Amino acid sequence: MAKEVYQNRVELLQGTLDLLILETLRWGSQHDYGISQAIRVRSGERLQVETGSLYPALHRLERQKWVKSQWSLTGQNQRAKFYELTKTGREQLARDRSRWETMVGAIAGVLGPIPEPES
Amino acid sequence: MSAWRKLFRSEDSKQDLDEEIASHLAMAAADRRSRGVDADRANAEVMHEFGNVALVKDVTREAWGWAWIERLQQDFRYALRQIRRSPGFATAVIGTLALGIAATAAMFTVVDHVLLQPLPFKSSSRMVHIELAGFAADSYSGAPYLDIAAWREQMQSLESIAFFGLGINGRSFLQHDNSAMQVEFTRVSANLFPTLGVSPQLGAGLPDRPEEFARTADTNDVVLSDAAWRTVFGADRNILGKTVHINDEPYTVVGIMPRGFFFPDRPESPQAWAPITLGALDRGRTFDTPNYEVIGKLRPGVNMAAALAELKTVQARVSQGYVDPEWRKRSAQVTMKKYSDTLVGVDKRRALMALTSASGLLWLIACVNATNLLLARASARAREMAVRGALGASCRRLVQQLIVEGVILSGLAALIGAGLAIAAVALFHHTLQRQLSISVPAVPNVTVIIALAALTIVSAILSSAWPALLAARSPIEPALRQGGLQGGVSRAQHRTRGGLVIAEIAMSLALLAACGLLLRTIYALRHVPLGFRTDHIIVANLEIPTYRVAKTNATTSIYEPLLERVQHLPGIDAAGLVTEVPLGQTFTMKLALDRKDETSGGKSNPITVSFKAVSPTLQRVFAFPILRGRYFTEHDTAAADPVVVVNRAFANAFSPDEQDPGKIIGKRLLMMVKDGKQATVVGVLEDFHQSSVGTPSQPEIEASIPQITPDSGFYTVLEGIAMDLAVRTRRKPSEVIPELRAALKQASPELAGSNFSTMDQIVEDSYGSQMLAARLLETFAGSALLLCVAGLYGLLAYVVSQRTREMGVRFALGAARSDVVWLVMRQAGTLVISGVAIGLALAYLAGKLVRSYLYGVSPHDGWTLAAVALVLIAAGAVAAYLPALRAADIDPVEALRAE
Repeated sequence: MAKEVYQNRVELLQGTLDLLILETLRWGSQHDYGISQAIRVRSGERLQVETGSLYPALHRLERQKWVKSQWSLTGQNQRAKFYELTKTGREQLARDRSRWETMVGAIAGVLGPIPEPES
Repeated sequence: MSAWRKLFRSEDSKQDLDEEIASHLAMAAADRRSRGVDADRANAEVMHEFGNVALVKDVTREAWGWAWIERLQQDFRYALRQIRRSPGFATAVIGTLALGIAATAAMFTVVDHVLLQPLPFKSSSRMVHIELAGFAADSYSGAPYLDIAAWREQMQSLESIAFFGLGINGRSFLQHDNSAMQVEFTRVSANLFPTLGVSPQLGAGLPDRPEEFARTADTNDVVLSDAAWRTVFGADRNILGKTVHINDEPYTVVGIMPRGFFFPDRPESPQAWAPITLGALDRGRTFDTPNYEVIGKLRPGVNMAAALAELKTVQARVSQGYVDPEWRKRSAQVTMKKYSDTLVGVDKRRALMALTSASGLLWLIACVNATNLLLARASARAREMAVRGALGASCRRLVQQLIVEGVILSGLAALIGAGLAIAAVALFHHTLQRQLSISVPAVPNVTVIIALAALTIVSAILSSAWPALLAARSPIEPALRQGGLQGGVSRAQHRTRGGLVIAEIAMSLALLAACGLLLRTIYALRHVPLGFRTDHIIVANLEIPTYRVAKTNATTSIYEPLLERVQHLPGIDAAGLVTEVPLGQTFTMKLALDRKDETSGGKSNPITVSFKAVSPTLQRVFAFPILRGRYFTEHDTAAADPVVVVNRAFANAFSPDEQDPGKIIGKRLLMMVKDGKQATVVGVLEDFHQSSVGTPSQPEIEASIPQITPDSGFYTVLEGIAMDLAVRTRRKPSEVIPELRAALKQASPELAGSNFSTMDQIVEDSYGSQMLAARLLETFAGSALLLCVAGLYGLLAYVVSQRTREMGVRFALGAARSDVVWLVMRQAGTLVISGVAIGLALAYLAGKLVRSYLYGVSPHDGWTLAAVALVLIAAGAVAAYLPALRAADIDPVEALRAE
């Protein structure tokens, strides 16, 4: 039963999770804990990435060769695996961003302007 | 790390992931500690926030994409462990499947060698064989050159036409240094090899001048086969241009054909080909015109029916060119067959197909049995499957595991089966060689191995997929409940297993019925009176050097001295010579004898007769019963009047209206020598079987060897190709044969290599295909019966063990032991009776398939079917006996005790 739930959640965020991770890595290499923290902070505590989704996503991205990984030391002398964008990753990020913006624009067009609250 | 490297260093990758997660946890904890949370609570919160570590690791590893390989490895190892834990079960399944696979693989090896191997020319499917069908009844009739040339010009559907020498025109020997080796020497048209699409591996081959169509090919060129080149000349690369002697004539070698090439037929000895010289005789269409066998190549995309239709139209025109009105009519009949079909007779093909179906049936029975065993096993492991399911295994995973087990079992079975198949083929080697004239290689070739692998996989799928699906889909809860072991097999499953056993019994009945029919055939054949004595006769099949015989008078130079010498050996009661001993199946000359029928107004109506040369002494060896008149004597020499002896079948065929066959004595039949006297019939023999025990006696004319002089037209064929020496002696063959061989060698050096046999062995061999089929079917049917008994026993034993509780209740309620036994037997009885009923229907079909083999018994023989049904019912009773006893011995107290 539990596994069913995980799969569902991965399904929902799959496309956008990749986009978020690639975007986070745009500003430099980061380790996995850092990535999840960054997403949480930048979304204003609204998006909390489950580790069960994060790790598969990271490894999937690595298999697609959009990120590459390397073991290194953090500032606190903690050994961690750092991920960074590759060139193809950057291209994919640009593609994903434009696709996202197209989708947002399309949905906004359908929904129309935000209705005035009844008073 | 790339995915591939991850695969090969899976342990490293897993460790890597573990470290990554550990560092994540460490960093998160450090973060919280820096915010003032104390260490323990920080750790607890971090763990809580992270979630299920093991599950995350699992999902991530899935994302790597090759977790399925690991799972397969796991299943594999587990399956091996299971097999080791229950060796009895594993042996049963492996043994059963191995039996089925061995039978099918062995049959397939034979079928592949005889039927499926492609001919060694390009586009062999487009090759057709054309012949004029109107002339002789059952023998080859080729076409004269003029017809062939006409076809070449006028037929649009044929891309090219080639022709080659008709039939055997004597034995040929390739002479080298001082030895002579027998070769199959065929004269071919110069365009034959290009038509076949094959070029020599060495040399240019026969010069192909299409505009002249074989008219002026050089007579003295010869092309040798690879085998001839290697055996006689040791693969000498300088062979081209050298002169070799065949039948004492010089030929120049112009080419060597590639290895594996043969034409026209599969070779028993090395082959050689020389061009046909067209001569004056080919310019007309007379009695003396040589006939050739014709092979054509269809244009791509043309089908044979269309080509045949065109051929018939063309031939209608061409046949106008015949002078004789009778011939004109007969020559209009043409037939066309695929060339590959002419090499393997229809009978042989049908026989092989029937045997293959029998082996296929055995394989099916084996699979059904294995399925039954696996079903039983699956229901015994129901609890294990339920626990796995409860722990989270998906249906797919369970099925995968059970199928892996099935594949391993059938893989092992295939290995053992292959070994058995090779052994079986080696065992039947001699019979196969004789009957199907094939020498099956000991090592199976690629096709067979592929077929074997396919068989394995299909067996595995058939036997284990279904039980696997059943086991995986069964509901979890009932199985886990206490007392689940006796919870009972579902009704459906029980019916299924019963159904499988019924199917097994039905198929076994069919096999047993076919086997029974064949055994009766053999019995009938053995009791057919042959019409001559067969005891204490040694036969030597001589290979006569035709070219030498042609130059001398063989009667005086070879045969008479030979007989003299042999008759004077110690212990020889009688010796004789004959072109072919009865049932010898070596060589017969067939003649189309015209008889002017008074009733049908002088139109000639030919009958086909066998024509043999015999020595007068033959009668003392074989003791043919004489119906009327006399046999040959020493007085029938070349100077005396020519005489012949015929058999009853001939008398009947010659004068069908005449009641008394003896009236043919005194009639003049044919001319032995051109422009000589006609031979008179002096004796009529009783019928005897010539070609096989099952075929009725054919019309036969015998002539005395001394009377066949070299000027006779029959001389070369009757005396120059084959001759059998038959010797009646009471001594042991092993003693006599070396002496005979010495005598032969003295008569002519080539004869030393002749084959020796006894008349009894020849008769045995002539049963041939029936014997082979009977023996094979005995094996198949016996195995099927064993499997059936085992299957039935397994099912009943299982049922009894499942119903011990019920039996206990019955005993407690007052049932007698015999009632319970009767219960079990009744259940067995239902299964067997239904199986037998369906089986009888199958046996009806089986009888139809083996019809061509049978002799003296009808394919739907009631006695055989009844006997076989009884055998199966008895077998069923035997199978049910032990479980019934066990049921009767159940202690009600034990059975009813709470579990």
